[in-house]
Amino acid sequence: MGAPFEIGYVFSFLPKLLETLGVTLLIVAGSLLTGIVAGFLVALPRMYKIPVLRTLSGLYLSFFRGTPILIQLFLFYYGLPELLKPLGFDLSRAPVLFFVILAYGLHTGAYAAEMIRASVEAVDRGQVEAAYASGMTSYRAFSRIVLPQALAIAVPVFSNLVIALLKDTSLAFTLGVMEMTGKAQTLGTLTQHFFETYIALALIYLVISFTLEKVLLAAEQRLKRHEAREEKAGRSFKLRRKGSYRAVLADIDAGKGGRL
Amino acid sequence: MIELKRISKSFGRHRVLQDISLSVKTGEVVVILGPSGSGKTTLLRCVNYLEKPASGEIAIGDFKMDCSQAKRGDILRLRRKTAMVFQQYNLFRHKTALENVMEALLVVKKMPAAEARSRSVALLEKVGLGGKLDEYPSRLSGGQQQRVGIARALALEPEVILFDEPTSALDPELVGEVLEVIRDIAREGITMIVVTHEMGFARDVANRVVFMDGGVVVEEGTPDDVFQHPQEERTKQFLRRITPEANWVI
Repeated sequence: MGAPFEIGYVFSFLPKLLETLGVTLLIVAGSLLTGIVAGFLVALPRMYKIPVLRTLSGLYLSFFRGTPILIQLFLFYYGLPELLKPLGFDLSRAPVLFFVILAYGLHTGAYAAEMIRASVEAVDRGQVEAAYASGMTSYRAFSRIVLPQALAIAVPVFSNLVIALLKDTSLAFTLGVMEMTGKAQTLGTLTQHFFETYIALALIYLVISFTLEKVLLAAEQRLKRHEAREEKAGRSFKLRRKGSYRAVLADIDAGKGGRL
Repeated sequence: MIELKRISKSFGRHRVLQDISLSVKTGEVVVILGPSGSGKTTLLRCVNYLEKPASGEIAIGDFKMDCSQAKRGDILRLRRKTAMVFQQYNLFRHKTALENVMEALLVVKKMPAAEARSRSVALLEKVGLGGKLDEYPSRLSGGQQQRVGIARALALEPEVILFDEPTSALDPELVGEVLEVIRDIAREGITMIVVTHEMGFARDVANRVVFMDGGVVVEEGTPDDVFQHPQEERTKQFLRRITPEANWVI
């Protein structure tokens, strides 16, 4: 099982892995962009119940949500050039990254479509009615009233989606892409310090996920600033052994009163 | 002047409105009464096309449209001549009280921001919410939200304001403040059509009361006519049910 564990390797691997962080982030950003565009295109026919297109959207969703991402990667990489060859497109020289971003993008698109549809449908129908009643066009009602509220609803789901995508990109190494996980494999094989490499790798993913989560949480709070702020949820649920029940009750009494 | 002619509407096989005609003069306050399921809210929502009538004609001022061949532009014009106050207030949740009133002034009327702002502030002060301009709806009580809703409707200076059970969702102690505002508006000669269950209020503000049941207008007349001397059996039954005190006196 390789060379004996040495913590020093973890630190020396960190900068080496970070050299390929750019590739990982490029895959994430490219797929996210593709995914959001695809998501909108797929969500629209479902929201507006357009025949035929709606069925196609359904098929798209079933495929990308119902098969493993690894298999989708292989299908795109090996299948797409074969499929397009008879149509006169030569993809045999296209960079691997192209297939990777396309596969991850369309995969993300399936989840983005459901996110978009669910968030838009979660906006109260009365909001649209009020917009229409005051004479807004359907475009204005959507862009000024529905969309801002739907965005706030979508952020937590979006946050999950981005983090899942970040972690999924680690499978791109199977097609020989030198992103972080690919680099880690190489380093491991070269030095035989597998455990240290993967600790370093896990650390990097963790830090990025954590940062993304915090940033998106801040965005959510900003978008939801119109919601009534809830009372500070700092009250502990532990059984308090000190003091009498009367004291506890008095405490609660002091805390209530006033509005939400 | 608002003129509804032979408005019909069905939900599936259920005919909600059957050839209803109604005309409202400028400055008139018409209250529509009726048991639930009588089609009164549907009729009101047909006036601004939140419900699409199957057939009939709607005329407001100099604008006239045939419902069976309504185009997008017609519907928009119709809606820009009306404003609505909703049972559930339907304030834009992501906008403050002030922004709620300003929104359509900016987006629909294309009013300069400063003008929209001063008009909105003045109206909110008039409904007693001068101190709540920057509050979001979630921080306002039901009564306050509904008063913002009324200010929002007034700001558009529509030819008619449609009130859809404006106090039905309110806690009993908040009903008074909203009715008071509506009463003031009624006195100022603004044309309105009101669907409500508040009998005392109806009696007080209405120039004309329309009693509906089963998708047709059963009876209409001055509040005195309808409340004191109802002609139709269905009206009598409804009034007995809704004001049981009347029975005790008799």
